[in-house]
Amino acid sequence: MLLAEGLSKSFPGVRALDGVTLQLAAGSVHALLGENGAGKSTLVKILTGVYRPDAGRVVLDGRDVGFGSPLEALHAGIGVVHQERNLVPEFSIAENIALQHLPNRLGMVDRTRMRAEARRCLGMLDLDLDPDTRVAELSVAQAQLVEIAKALSVDTRVLLLDEPTASLTGDEADRLYAIVRKLTATGHAVVLVSHKLEEVFAVADTVTVLRDGRSVAQAQPLSGYTRDEIVDLMVGRAYASVELTARTVDRAATPALELAGLSTRHGHREVSLTVARGEILGLYGLVGAGRTELAKALLGLDEITGGEVRVHGVPVRIRDVGQALRRHRIGYVPEDRKGEGLFLEQPITRNVGVTVWRRLARFGLIPDRAERDVVAEYTELLGIRAASPGQLAGQLSGGNQQKVSLAKWLAASCDILIVDEPTVGIDVRTKAAFHELIARLAGQGMAILLISSDLPEIVTLADRIAVMGEAAVRGELVNDHDYDAVSQRVIRLIHAAPAAV
Amino acid sequence: MKQEDTTTPEQPRPPARLPLWANPRIGLVVLLIALIALFTTLRPAFLNTQLTLVPMQADISVYAVVGLSQLAVLSLGHMNMAVGRMAAMSAFASGLLHDRLDAPLIVALAGGLAMGALLGALAGIIISRTGVNSFVVTLALDFALIGLVSLLYATFTDGVAFNGLPAGMSALRTDTFADYCAGDVCGPEIPLLAPIALVAVLVVGLLFRWSRVGREVLMTGSNAKAAELSGIPVGWRVVQAHALSGLLAGLAGFLLSANNGSFSAGVGDGFLLPSFLAPVLGGTLLVGGAVSVLGTVLGTAITQVIYKGLNLLQFQVDELKLYIGLVLLAALSLDRLRHVLAERRGVPA
Repeated sequence: MLLAEGLSKSFPGVRALDGVTLQLAAGSVHALLGENGAGKSTLVKILTGVYRPDAGRVVLDGRDVGFGSPLEALHAGIGVVHQERNLVPEFSIAENIALQHLPNRLGMVDRTRMRAEARRCLGMLDLDLDPDTRVAELSVAQAQLVEIAKALSVDTRVLLLDEPTASLTGDEADRLYAIVRKLTATGHAVVLVSHKLEEVFAVADTVTVLRDGRSVAQAQPLSGYTRDEIVDLMVGRAYASVELTARTVDRAATPALELAGLSTRHGHREVSLTVARGEILGLYGLVGAGRTELAKALLGLDEITGGEVRVHGVPVRIRDVGQALRRHRIGYVPEDRKGEGLFLEQPITRNVGVTVWRRLARFGLIPDRAERDVVAEYTELLGIRAASPGQLAGQLSGGNQQKVSLAKWLAASCDILIVDEPTVGIDVRTKAAFHELIARLAGQGMAILLISSDLPEIVTLADRIAVMGEAAVRGELVNDHDYDAVSQRVIRLIHAAPAAV
Repeated sequence: MKQEDTTTPEQPRPPARLPLWANPRIGLVVLLIALIALFTTLRPAFLNTQLTLVPMQADISVYAVVGLSQLAVLSLGHMNMAVGRMAAMSAFASGLLHDRLDAPLIVALAGGLAMGALLGALAGIIISRTGVNSFVVTLALDFALIGLVSLLYATFTDGVAFNGLPAGMSALRTDTFADYCAGDVCGPEIPLLAPIALVAVLVVGLLFRWSRVGREVLMTGSNAKAAELSGIPVGWRVVQAHALSGLLAGLAGFLLSANNGSFSAGVGDGFLLPSFLAPVLGGTLLVGGAVSVLGTVLGTAITQVIYKGLNLLQFQVDELKLYIGLVLLAALSLDRLRHVLAERRGVPA
């Protein structure tokens, strides 16, 4: 019914998709699997008209369709339910369902028809909800089902579900999949993107596995695979080893950073982690597992409701980043480089100098020369390539921007560093240099908490790996750098049901 | 890392040099000279010391400080819609101190500045605590203060102004340095107000260029989230910038009162537009993160030259407002054009 053939798509520095083919049959559920960054999102975005492919074509019912916009894809009959909620909370169910194609009469919204339409869509899902209910009043599961109703409201033939059960309980998920089964019985084709392999095996008929932007399994019947074989397909990439600074970790000594049964307002439950001096702790998890939020709570940006943070064995209450830096010498390199890590319209000097001004100031004034010297020292140390220290951070390449974002913490002589997704959107060569740098910093005795959704990165760098899911630590393991073995264990922890709640 | 440096293919771009025409300050100086030449040709009286130059310098002094008051919060990407009323409240505080306590000039000035700084800090606290837009907060504050100022003057004075000024304040109004001579050598024809404004300009310039607090305010204006995650006490910096704005508004109110010869309820009525005009003409961004103190002074000078020139050409007050408004629109459009042209050349403007 739907055939996407030879799709390729590149972004600056990354080849996201490389000749991928996806084939869908009417009345079946097709699973699209792969690790973070394997190209699933890019593929979904091409199918829904958000991106245009660099090469390849999309054929729907034997007709070439090249979607110019999400609306075109929608009208061609491809509906999508994204991982993030896309309903307007203040609108009613009916209004949300009708949002893309409001029925109008004499320029006014035809509310009677809108309600009737909403009832029809809800009926397809056996949902007994009043179309006039505001979405804000619905439960998460109900809202999820309304999203599906919305996707079905146009004459939808192909339904894309991106992690539809990420925020649902087991029962709710079962109900959702019952509905999915019903849809396929009426001739719909469903594409399911999910990290929960149990669900995939329970629901899907066929499978495509992506790895590094290529399809390693193409429209194969799922019954031909075991769970382990699928995991192998997902992670089994050739493991590129990098020469890294060797280091020894003294685990007997007092840990530099210790979280003891930490609970936060964000929903973390009893998170316990330790990072020793000179150690890299990899914190792995899927997007939305609550790792960034944990780091921010640690820095005082979110409320800690229970448990304790200890720095060099001493219990501390950190109020803000300034205090974390000055009193405890903790630095945080945020995931969102452009939004949180850098001042794009400011020169490199200020971006690096911002953390050391307090130290350099004499009578409240900052001597230009002292600042210049510090900045020069760290731009050289990190190999930041720029025309001059006066160049604006926004004009640098991604890799250099990340180095600038890191440099300010080194300049402030931190000895505990939290690095959040340090190499997202950075090309392979710079990434390797960055890994070398992080290993070197740990080698010099720095305690590093490495948050990453890039499993090879974690296996390359970390001494130990903690796996997080749904705001709790699912398990921890010592990294013996045997990529295949370690990645299998990590993936199993990810896909394991959460430990007794 | 060292070896990697030599093999990395990614080459930095050559240093981007700002072409001369894209430097906003030089454009302003040229514009200022051209305007003076134009008005002098049309009305030679434009260069008359007593009639034009001395009062114009006094006005530039007052309005440069008004501009700096707005600049103090533009640095954050905020606005202070209450500059006028903060000035009026300051003038009231100074007037009351003199009228009731017979306070000398310097105490009256200090009281006025403290009042301005307090009001500014209040605005800053509300903004940083509630996260409500600065425009809305200061606009509401302005509205409340309009009422308060009238009430206070009605309660403490016979009308809308205090009678009498502290000793020495009328000298600030009438004298120039030419009136003070050491032997045969007298000072230049510069009003006594000018050095006060000059000190304000130098202090604010120093603050934003070299002080840690000033720079951290600019970083907050540039990206508040990144500022917070770099350890800058963002909320406190917002309060400080607004307090500075209030303090400078208070100073401007004091200078204008000296110029007018009384502490009155009407002080600050005409501050709002000029407060934006000068910094924006001078190249300060409305989005925050960059300020130009020198540009603000030049922007004030240009505005006042246009004002005096049109005045001499016998334009009516309403026409003056019309033309000043048009000049602002033209200046902003030209600034945008300059930006676009510079961007096309691949240099930051």
